[in-house]
Formats: sequence, structure tokens, C-alpha cells
Amino acid sequence: MMRRGLREVALLAVIAALPASVSAVVQLKWRPPAPLAEGEVSAATARLWGEKVLWVDARARAKWERKKIGGAVLLNAEEWDASVPRFLDEWDPEKAIVVYGDGAQDDAAAGVAHRLKEELKLDGVWVLQGGWDAWQQR
Amino acid sequence: MRFSVFALFFTLASVAHAELVFEKPLQNLHRMREDGHAEARFAFKNTGPETVTIRKVRTACGCTSAKLDRKVFAPGEGSEIVVRFTFGSRKGAQRKMITVVTEDKKEIPLDLRVWVHEPLTISPALVYWKVGEPPMGKTVKLTTSDERIGIKSVASSNPRIAATLLPAKPGEPTMVTVTPADTSQKETAELTVQTDFPADAARSYTIHARVK
Repeated sequence: MMRRGLREVALLAVIAALPASVSAVVQLKWRPPAPLAEGEVSAATARLWGEKVLWVDARARAKWERKKIGGAVLLNAEEWDASVPRFLDEWDPEKAIVVYGDGAQDDAAAGVAHRLKEELKLDGVWVLQGGWDAWQQR
Repeated sequence: MRFSVFALFFTLASVAHAELVFEKPLQNLHRMREDGHAEARFAFKNTGPETVTIRKVRTACGCTSAKLDRKVFAPGEGSEIVVRFTFGSRKGAQRKMITVVTEDKKEIPLDLRVWVHEPLTISPALVYWKVGEPPMGKTVKLTTSDERIGIKSVASSNPRIAATLLPAKPGEPTMVTVTPADTSQKETAELTVQTDFPADAARSYTIHARVK
């Protein structure tokens, strides 16, 4: 009786191991994209928008000076008052505004996007999902 | 016996997901800048059939901290996460994201929005016209939080975009009308609102105007 039970357990383990191995290989290679939060746009979609985007860099000035998305305007919480006029000079009502921060665990971009909508009453403001980190993983 | 092994297998495979439900995961607060900080309480309850363990509460800014009295919650139990946002030099519409991470790696986002009011709030801070649009005047509202604040003047950096301060009725916000001479070409102006407060270092504020 005991041996029969052990045989069944072993058999089940073998049966379970096959699909589990296939699943493990597939999941390691492919991870479903994280769902977009309200007001977020994925890097893939933003790339499709091409020239119809004004990029806003919400990171620290040193990071913006070192490397940025092409044509990105600096606008962060630390230099808000001084940077808004320059941002508005670049702004085009016909273009979407996509704000990016460092990465997924940084809320600087969400903060800047919120201020653009609430204080300047701008429409078409998006946050790049995953920020600069996601943009670089092309 | 054969069926009992299968039953055990499927029972172990179908462990229910634990669940924390927050009463108000998005909170909007209004505070004066001199308050220095805002505190929000995010109340929650474990509505699932399993015990939930909170591994950590992640804040995305050094200006935001989160406190939790304990980490393990049996079904039906609840508590609150107290989030404190210290303004520092921040002002205007602020948004802080907080993430609750449970032991089963589930992430629950919390959203704290705080309007840090200055003595004078300008709304909207931007007025604009598209090139070719009729050059109609647009109105900006100036709301003061202190009766001692007087608005002395509004001056434009561009003579082609004029700003007119309208006489304020008692207890009502002051209005400014901004009007471009025409909209045949792109224009830029920064309008400076000069107050008489505080008396020893009177502050000014900016309205942005553009023809695009």
C-alpha cells in the first residue's frame, strides 16, 4: 500500500515537471508588460508618436546634462520656477508632453506631470512608464 | 487512494490570494506652505481569507515617510498607514506615490496629492492663444490666503501682451485680464504680479502668457 502511494506521488511529480519546465522557460524569456497606471504611456507607444512629442526630463540637472532623450527639456521640482518659461518656449499645443524620471520607483515624473496639468492647465500630458531606465532598454 | 492524492495535489495548488483593500487609495489635501508638512492616513483591511504580511511600504522621495504599526494582518483585520510629506521648498500641486509591497510580492499603489498653497495662488498660471486665434482677453484668478496681502501691480515683459488688474470686490479673488495686441505671430510674455506682503520683503509671482 505504502509503495503504491509513493509510486503515485513519483508519477505525479514527473507529470507535473514536464509542463512546469516548459512554463519556466517561457516565463523566463517573456514577461508580460506591467499594466499602465493612469496617465502613463509605454516607451513603445511613445516611440510611435515620433516627432509629435515634447519630452520633459524631470530628473536632476546633472543627469539631464549627461544624457537625455533627444530634445528633452529640463523641468524638475527643484528648478520649477526658473525652468517653466524655457519649457513653455519649447511647448507646442499640437504635441503630446511625455515626462520621464529615473525609473519605475521614482515619482518625480508623476509630480511634474501633475503640476503641468493642475497649475498650467495643460492637456495631453503623459508619464513615461518605467522612466529613463525603460527608455534605455530598447 | 488514487483520488485522495489528486485531491491533495489540487488543494495545495489553489491557495487563495491574500487581499488588502484600502478605503481611499487616492487622497487630495490642501495645505499652506508654512504648515511645513501634510499627513495622510490610508486605512485598509484584509478582506481575503488568508493572513497578509506587509513586507515594506516604499516611498519614492526622501521627503515622504510612511509608518505602519504592525505588519501581519489576519483575515478581517486592518490598520492604517500614516504618510508624512515634508514640503521643503516644494509648492503648488504636488503628487507623491507610495507602494505597499506584501509578502507574496503584490504591489498596491497609494497616491497622495497635496496642493501646497502660497500666500497667493494663481489660476491658471498660463494663458495662451494659437496663432491666428481672435485676440480675446483671458482671465486669471488671484486668490490670497491672508487678508494682509494686497496686490499692487501687474507688469508685462512684452508690450504686445497687456495685463490689466481688475478692481476686486470685497471677499472675492482679484482678477487679471491678459490680452495680446494681435495673434499674427508667436509671442512670449512673463507677467509679474507684485504684492505688498510680507512688508519687509514683498513677494512677486509670475503669470505666463504665450501666442503659439
